[in-house]
Amino acid sequence: MYTIELEKVRKSYDHFVAVDDLSFKIEQGGVFGLLGPNGAGKTSTIRMMIGITVPDSGTVSVFGQPFDRKCLKRVGYLPEERGLYKKMKVLDQLVFLGELHGMAMAPARKRAIEWCERLEISEKLADKIEELSKGMQQKIQFIAALLHDPDFIIMDEPFAGLDPVNSDLLKNVLLQVKEQGKTILFSTHRMDQVEKLCESICLINHGKAVLQGNLKQVKAQYGKNTVQIQYEGNGNFLKGNPLVQSFSDYGNHVDVQLAKGADPQQLLRGAMEHSRVSKFELMEPPLEQIFIDVVGKTDA
Amino acid sequence: MHNIILIARREYLERVRTRSFIAMTFLVPALMLGLTVLPTYLATHGSSQSKHIVVVASDKRTAELIQQQLSKESEEQKDQPAGDPQGFENRFRIEKLNVDVDLDTSDREQTALIERVKQKELDGAIFATKDALAAKKVLFITRDVSSFAANEVIQASVNRAVRRDLLASKGFSEKEIDNALETVDLKPQSPSGTRNPVVLFFAAFSVMMILYMTVFLYGISVMRAIIDEKNSRIMEVMLSITDAKEMMAGKILGVGLVALTQILIWAVVVGIASSTALVASAGMLKGIISIKLLAFFAVYFLLGFALYSTMYAAVGAMVNSEQEAQQLQVLVAAPMILSLVFMANILQSPGSNIAMFASIFPFTAPLIMLLRVAVQAASPWEIGLSIGLMIAAIYGTVLFCARVYRIGILMYGKKPTLPELMKWIKYA
Repeated sequence: MYTIELEKVRKSYDHFVAVDDLSFKIEQGGVFGLLGPNGAGKTSTIRMMIGITVPDSGTVSVFGQPFDRKCLKRVGYLPEERGLYKKMKVLDQLVFLGELHGMAMAPARKRAIEWCERLEISEKLADKIEELSKGMQQKIQFIAALLHDPDFIIMDEPFAGLDPVNSDLLKNVLLQVKEQGKTILFSTHRMDQVEKLCESICLINHGKAVLQGNLKQVKAQYGKNTVQIQYEGNGNFLKGNPLVQSFSDYGNHVDVQLAKGADPQQLLRGAMEHSRVSKFELMEPPLEQIFIDVVGKTDA
Repeated sequence: MHNIILIARREYLERVRTRSFIAMTFLVPALMLGLTVLPTYLATHGSSQSKHIVVVASDKRTAELIQQQLSKESEEQKDQPAGDPQGFENRFRIEKLNVDVDLDTSDREQTALIERVKQKELDGAIFATKDALAAKKVLFITRDVSSFAANEVIQASVNRAVRRDLLASKGFSEKEIDNALETVDLKPQSPSGTRNPVVLFFAAFSVMMILYMTVFLYGISVMRAIIDEKNSRIMEVMLSITDAKEMMAGKILGVGLVALTQILIWAVVVGIASSTALVASAGMLKGIISIKLLAFFAVYFLLGFALYSTMYAAVGAMVNSEQEAQQLQVLVAAPMILSLVFMANILQSPGSNIAMFASIFPFTAPLIMLLRVAVQAASPWEIGLSIGLMIAAIYGTVLFCARVYRIGILMYGKKPTLPELMKWIKYA
């Protein structure tokens, strides 16, 4: 069964088409990455999955049924635009949102306290939201999306603005939730996180799906034509090298896209002549490179 | 429905816990009592000091008559039972007067007396000289020129004295003069009751003002809450659980209940206060709080609040800040402000066509009909029609505003233009 099925979904505002005949399916019990540049239509797509807006045409099915507001009690949503009642106390806020999701007051309260302990913010339960730091507010928002034990969880940039320790904490929580068979939709620009978490992806640009499928298969399509090099010394050997199609310098290492038919061994020899190579790895292209390529192509 | 109740409950609990709610709830009755009872109390009880006045007249008889009248006037006032609503016209009291007579009408004496008033040796000097009486213009030197109540009493006394003098000189007996100078009291009374017109006026005026204030303040408060929610970006989270209509309904219901709670507390406080000796003695609030009027107040408050807060909710959804809301806010409040402008007119002729129309037209009905109910000028069919039309208007407004609200709460940035707004409304 699919948790979400979009079938030729279209949404336009005035003359601007935000989502253009988009179709994809999200399998139950996995992490799905919805990717795309700013303004690609990610938020518009998410909004149609949870009935905030209605598609102009096409169908949205949730949990194998055509969309019905009743299913929202089984959905948890962490929007990119974070929002909580600023004057409300943390516990009151969580209980209120839990109750809206159909929980009774006592269990909502109990679960909210447990979650706050789990995310190490239980000392803030009686504080008002506005008294908390950004990162803590984010944790509360995160709890609000998971409190009612939803089967489908939408996380729009869940780690934005969090330090690495807290990012890791939330990431582990998400992985545990996934282990329980829940479906997670993960929308982000951070390709490194997508590579760590997602099993399948859909990359959209200008409201259209431009790349989708299982992450491993997608990367395999692009073949092992990328070399990651770490070296000390002169990096000039890369410039104008006929073996190199393009390269991205990250300071500590360089990702090199090989030209068609180029021999990586030849590149290694050239590199050793000019510098001390500490790492030379032939690998699948990073998702970020694929993203830039695909988006660049569809924009052109 | 469950969601509406949850949202209303949150709104209610969060609001009644705030300091400003508690302050408003207890300060407003205190202020109201302070504003109505205290001045009345002070005016009717006055100060215990007595005032020293000199009457200057050409002949002794005139001077003594004025002196007599003035003393009598201040004595009489003291004997009158305090807080008698029937004696409303006399509720302003003047201090006890000590009146001296001075027969020196020279300019030098006048200057001297004026100087003494200035130096606070004297409280007043009345120059009822022969010339002044002939010209019907009597000079009264006083430091309290603005004390119109006292001036009124003094003028009446001088007039009486002069008339007495005149009638006596024509040979009328003392008894005949008393009879002739006795004034007739006019007692206006509505066909259905025996209520005092002044109390009726105050009742009508105060219930209308309170209705205006509460509908206006709480309507604006709905708008503010929505602007706040827009800015805190909670809308997206809320909309992933409930729909816009439920959010709007819950919010309006919650704020409405807060307002009702506050009004109920006010009514109880005023009720208790008006039964205490202090207020009862002032006689101001007696008869203002009738159960029937309170019931009509509740009905028109609920209808008026539902109508206006729905419009304010739409305004709140359309804008991003209170500054942006100002123009639209005035537009929404215009019918209520017009109602206030016409209030005096309608109180003058509560049965006129304008009054009738305004009390049936849904946007002015809450204030104007309540006013007419308070002065007992509305017939049952008019009241029924106004309630029916208001319910219809609320239904239409909710349909219209819910559409604006639904789109508006997710729109950030620029305030919509009129054509854009029309598009929102047409949008399915």
